[in-house]
Amino acid sequence: MRPYELTLADAAKAIASRELSPVELTDSVLGRIEAVEGRLGAYVAVFADAARHTAARAERDIAAGGYRGPLHGVPMGLKDLIDVAGLPTTASSRVREHHVAVRDSAVAARLRDAGAVLLGKTHTHEFAYGLTTPQSRNAWAADRVAGGSSGGSAVAVAAGAATFALGTDTGGSIRVPSALNGVVGLKPTYGLVSRHGVTSLSWSLDHVGPITRTVADAELVLAALVGPDPSDRAALGEPPTGHPRRTDADLTGLRVGVPRNYYFERVAPEVAEAVHSAIVHLGELGAELVAVDIPMTKYIQATQWGLMVPEATAYHEGTLRSSPELYAPDVRVLLEAGELVLAGDYLRAQRSRTLMRRAWAELFTAVDVIAAPAVTSTAARSDQQTVEWPDGTMESVSDTYVRLSAPANITGLPSLSLPVGLDSAGLPIGMQLIGRPLGEATILRTGRAYETTRESVSRLAPIAV
Amino acid sequence: MTTADLSPDEAARWALRAGLPLEAGRPDTVAATANHIQNVIAVLRELDFGETAPAATYQAAYAADALPDAVAGAEERADAAV
Repeated sequence: MRPYELTLADAAKAIASRELSPVELTDSVLGRIEAVEGRLGAYVAVFADAARHTAARAERDIAAGGYRGPLHGVPMGLKDLIDVAGLPTTASSRVREHHVAVRDSAVAARLRDAGAVLLGKTHTHEFAYGLTTPQSRNAWAADRVAGGSSGGSAVAVAAGAATFALGTDTGGSIRVPSALNGVVGLKPTYGLVSRHGVTSLSWSLDHVGPITRTVADAELVLAALVGPDPSDRAALGEPPTGHPRRTDADLTGLRVGVPRNYYFERVAPEVAEAVHSAIVHLGELGAELVAVDIPMTKYIQATQWGLMVPEATAYHEGTLRSSPELYAPDVRVLLEAGELVLAGDYLRAQRSRTLMRRAWAELFTAVDVIAAPAVTSTAARSDQQTVEWPDGTMESVSDTYVRLSAPANITGLPSLSLPVGLDSAGLPIGMQLIGRPLGEATILRTGRAYETTRESVSRLAPIAV
Repeated sequence: MTTADLSPDEAARWALRAGLPLEAGRPDTVAATANHIQNVIAVLRELDFGETAPAATYQAAYAADALPDAVAGAEERADAAV
């Protein structure tokens, strides 16, 4: 096995035991980037020399007895909404052409402290306002969308062009590209990970989280990211809670909610079948499967849009007036139209969020985890605009990608996407595990139990070079 | 539930009222998108909120820290201006 093929957990073990050097690992991943980047377009910029320099320093520090933990000497990518001091944060937009970040974002600083090696900045759908990331191509099929908005991060991890990456998630932007590229994405509880220094799409819905090859890897990255941050007014400053950390795959005593409505409606049959099969497997591992009804489903899209659209427009107020022509057409028109949303409608969305949070809290008195498809369908063709469902309804690709993600953004609940198989076209399918607020330990334990008993689901995308 | 679509001229006037003069050729597409957004959001008017307070996200304890953020934001905007 070549170093770029290693999961984060395996690479960390090898580095800790001095079987693998950070330089060797970083060189291998940089070589992989060189081999696949031309066809994938995952990165806005790769900083190869700086990465080698950081890796060499990590190697020296570790040799001198200064091992910092599992991220030390491990190469990673950051979605290009995340500030790194002295580097541009382009947001994959011409609007940011001359931008240079003044200081590190909180998450970049934490990863730096943990000894991680920055490879480069990965593509986002412009300013995270979209679900496809047109600059990048799906790691499993070049004619399919990467998903978004953290498309570059998910593609890079799926291809072995980063050992892990960070993304952001406002309406599914970590979980959707993770599901479509067969990797793991974690949207933590709202406020658990600081967003200071991360370009916002919608303040009240934005989250930062890891994209990794395995659930075990996501747990390692999350541990490095959490903690109080006075710079982020929403930061909780509390560690995740839940079941005590267990490494066995026995799920006895865990109650897994299986939605009777919403999450399996207008879902591709192969996706529904794969996720149902994965849920049955959780039952075989000892979990109790409990049928649940998802509340207020009629109001999910309205609440998501009622919050996101005016908040996004407010964030871009200055540049929408000074240089509107620099935005891509799809983003520009959404920002302009957002000026016309009434304050009364924004408040209704906020009040609806109050009701929805209460209703979901009630739901979690009966279950510990809710298991559902992460996305309604596998990756769409790059030129595809809509999805047609068997009931005759049409849905835009963006709407269908947000549909199953939005509840966890509105409520702030943690949600983990993990691969559970491939469809008949060979495209990855993702399952979503949603937990209580700060219930990361429970959804990660559930996901880990699944992946350790279904090893084959966490392999790299098969890219011929 | 009641809502009313905006014509392109009305969309341009509403945008101007919000402080955004729309360039020539923009009102048609902006009106169409704004009407679509409004049709999605308007369903919330069916809900009986009673005494329900809005769930905003900022914690009052941090409100006093607003100044450093505002300064950092000004630097970012200067960098972003093209």
